[in-house]
Amino acid sequence: MLSETLVGDVLSRARLGGADYAELYVERWRRRSLRMLSGEVKEAASGLEYGAGLRLIYGTEVVYAYTNDLSAESLLELTETLVKLKGRVGQVDAQGRGGLDFRKQAARGLHAPEVPLSARDRRYRVERLLEAETAARVAPEIKQVQTQLLEWEQEVLVATSEGRWVEDRRVRTRYVVTAIAQGEGGMQTGSFGPGLSVGLELFDHHPPSVVGRKAGEQAMTNLRAKPAPAGTMPVVIGNAFGGVIFHEALGHLLETTSVAKKASVLSDKLGEKVASPCVTYIDDGTTPHGWGSSEFDDEGLATERTVLIENGVLKSYMVDRWGALRTGLRPTGSGRRQDYTFAPTSRMRNTFIAPGDTPKEKLFEGIEYGLYAKDMGGGQVKPGSGEYNFGVKEAYIIRHGRIEEPVRGAMLVGKGPDSISKIVAVSSDLETAPGMCGSLSGSLPVEVGQPHLLISEIVVGGQA
Amino acid sequence: MTFEQAKDYLLQKARAMGLEAEVLATETREMSLSAFEGRLEEITQATQGGIGVRVVVEGKVGYAYTEEKTPEALDWVMQEAYENALLQGSGGGFIPAGSALGRHDLLGEGLSAPLEEKQAAALAVEATLRQDARVRQVPRTAYQEQEVQVVLGSTQGASGGYRTGVSVLMGSAILSDGGAPKQSWNVDVDREFHALEPGKTALELIERTARLLGARPLKTGKYRAYFEPKAFAQLLGVISFMFSAKNVLEGKSLLAGKVGEKVASDLVTVVDDPTLPGGIASRPFDAEGTPARRLVIIEKGVLKSFAHNSETARKMGVEPTGNAQRGYKGVLGVGHSNLFLEPGSGVRLEDGIVVTEMMGLHAGANPISGDFSLQALGLKLEGGEVAYAVENFTVAGNLLALLQNVSAVGEKLEWEYWGMALGAPMVEVAELSFAGA
Repeated sequence: MLSETLVGDVLSRARLGGADYAELYVERWRRRSLRMLSGEVKEAASGLEYGAGLRLIYGTEVVYAYTNDLSAESLLELTETLVKLKGRVGQVDAQGRGGLDFRKQAARGLHAPEVPLSARDRRYRVERLLEAETAARVAPEIKQVQTQLLEWEQEVLVATSEGRWVEDRRVRTRYVVTAIAQGEGGMQTGSFGPGLSVGLELFDHHPPSVVGRKAGEQAMTNLRAKPAPAGTMPVVIGNAFGGVIFHEALGHLLETTSVAKKASVLSDKLGEKVASPCVTYIDDGTTPHGWGSSEFDDEGLATERTVLIENGVLKSYMVDRWGALRTGLRPTGSGRRQDYTFAPTSRMRNTFIAPGDTPKEKLFEGIEYGLYAKDMGGGQVKPGSGEYNFGVKEAYIIRHGRIEEPVRGAMLVGKGPDSISKIVAVSSDLETAPGMCGSLSGSLPVEVGQPHLLISEIVVGGQA
Repeated sequence: MTFEQAKDYLLQKARAMGLEAEVLATETREMSLSAFEGRLEEITQATQGGIGVRVVVEGKVGYAYTEEKTPEALDWVMQEAYENALLQGSGGGFIPAGSALGRHDLLGEGLSAPLEEKQAAALAVEATLRQDARVRQVPRTAYQEQEVQVVLGSTQGASGGYRTGVSVLMGSAILSDGGAPKQSWNVDVDREFHALEPGKTALELIERTARLLGARPLKTGKYRAYFEPKAFAQLLGVISFMFSAKNVLEGKSLLAGKVGEKVASDLVTVVDDPTLPGGIASRPFDAEGTPARRLVIIEKGVLKSFAHNSETARKMGVEPTGNAQRGYKGVLGVGHSNLFLEPGSGVRLEDGIVVTEMMGLHAGANPISGDFSLQALGLKLEGGEVAYAVENFTVAGNLLALLQNVSAVGEKLEWEYWGMALGAPMVEVAELSFAGA
């Protein structure tokens, strides 16, 4: 996207100004979105995003600038501004003076789409969404169905003063079906939104007829559901998006962004037991076509599979460059950012609980009264106190070991280390699901995942 | 090419293609200074912007945007917007007749101060926080400022622009007095850098967090709830979804068909006012160029009006209210500016729970069904006095029922900034469900 000479000039100038490390991140996005409601296209939009971010590191201090004027004058001026902003001239070594000898690495196409953004016409997309809508209309009470398709194509260049030159291309596609049911239970919703690092073949992996029906059935379940009970009780959490509990209760606490500042309740705990022995937690940036996968991270390092917790023992944090500088730990290819308007920080990719060996049915046995949280919404955590929450989208009462009537509107809340130790059994039916995670470096695609599992007690926020 | 030139290029191109079009560009300058352990740990400086079009082809609407201002990119934008428009089945879309709207400056010299003063402000928040022995860590303190230029033009005569911006001082701290830690944020936003007070930002954060130390579990049950202003403002942000005429027309609002009806307690009056002097989200006109005006949404419990753009207003046979919303990347929607619950005659604390903070609003509050169940932090009141702090509980109910059960409204408005400015005083709700131990 930019010439090697210009990139070399910018990075060398930054080094001459005293930075220990300089990194230029350049990207171009093409995005398309389509929203339909009741059989009609409401909005179709296309976009082109284009910009660069320059990061200079002095010790552990960071200066970051971004622009979407990528002319040589603009980029060199930006570099000057940054160097002056720091107001200090440090050591200059021989490497900083001369031209940079870039070692170029290009993506191997591990997550490349079969059907690219330019393929198939717009009508094809409309027809697939219409199929999903038809499937969602499972009953006359379904009054409204909304479908949305998002297509992203991102080209990235990361070049550093250490001579790294990485080009990556990421294609992601997602569609979301939301059904609204109306009746005596008021207005209730159901939704499903598959997404992968693929092109339009997403519709083959997750057929609209199946996704639409699941959304419609969930809305109908919620329509006949009574308000959830309130209080502390055993909860079986469903697989796939159920993994959001670990994303909030554990994942965010293991990012060096918090850990390095001792602002996480799990700081300084490597090698210690932090969860029950049935918990093995993995963050994998390499899952083929995973929603959160990429060949390189946004600092230009190859992504990897990082075992965070093994049989309850903390094995690794998620480490970005800055985190590595502060902690001395090895970077794990976890430096991510929403786009050029953010400096990278350590973030999750595809994070999941490894399968256990308890048969799923066994989880329910012995529960006199509890909740089966089958499908989950998003959540939130405060790393400094470990207090977290996540919303339940579809739930049922467990009575005498059996799944009984549906209930709605419950949030589950807890304190990270405490409730993680209360996970007493993990089954084997691991599935993953896509989500968007918001944090310091913006909103990012991540996968969460888990098999069904049992928490011996947690607060269920229904109505008293 | 400047944004002004890019706008003219796109409008000319639209005319040549025989299309109605509206062009919106924003250009943002941003600076952020983060302090950590007495040094400026991260400095960010940026200029960024983009330009987006809405085109209408025989009543069908399409959108496209770009951040690259080359003729090739702008040509791509018009072609994509045109092809996107052809996908719409039914017509009825239009670009409203516009007028010369003038150039407005809402920011003035608000951000004018030497860089050193801004750096000192960020460092001062951190230093003040660290003076308190209970502060165990200060994960982030920062000064941020943003200056935004908005340019609007259409083939139907709209033409204008304005400059606005904010300065922000924020801090996050983890406190402990030996027991379990608590973490909180405090964010102060103002149009004037000189109105920010680092000491105040820090001390309020300490006070708000320290009172939650030693929190105990809350017994599940029904309690009288006292929402602190910023907590209620967050709920108002979720409720505002129902005020949007776009959501009403799309069958997503529980308030559909209820204009003129009693939907809340007599004590509830909700106003959206983009003309509020000094208002963080004040603006001279909306995203379609409709001049800003004060809109009463709920008056003494009665729903008076939805918030409209030109398209929703035409469909419902009313006048636009100046609530059109669109960023250059976005599509035409409805949004609020400075939305607030009018102050009342005061709240007297008795027995119940003071809800000081809520978490997980994006997951735990469903604006379509109105159901909410949210993680909260708070204080247990006994005989009007704070008995102890409470934690690890949720507060749940339905948003419409909550509005109907408001039993007292406080006298002093406080603001939260969430894309729009949300204001509320303290709000007492007669009875709500709390789930805990």
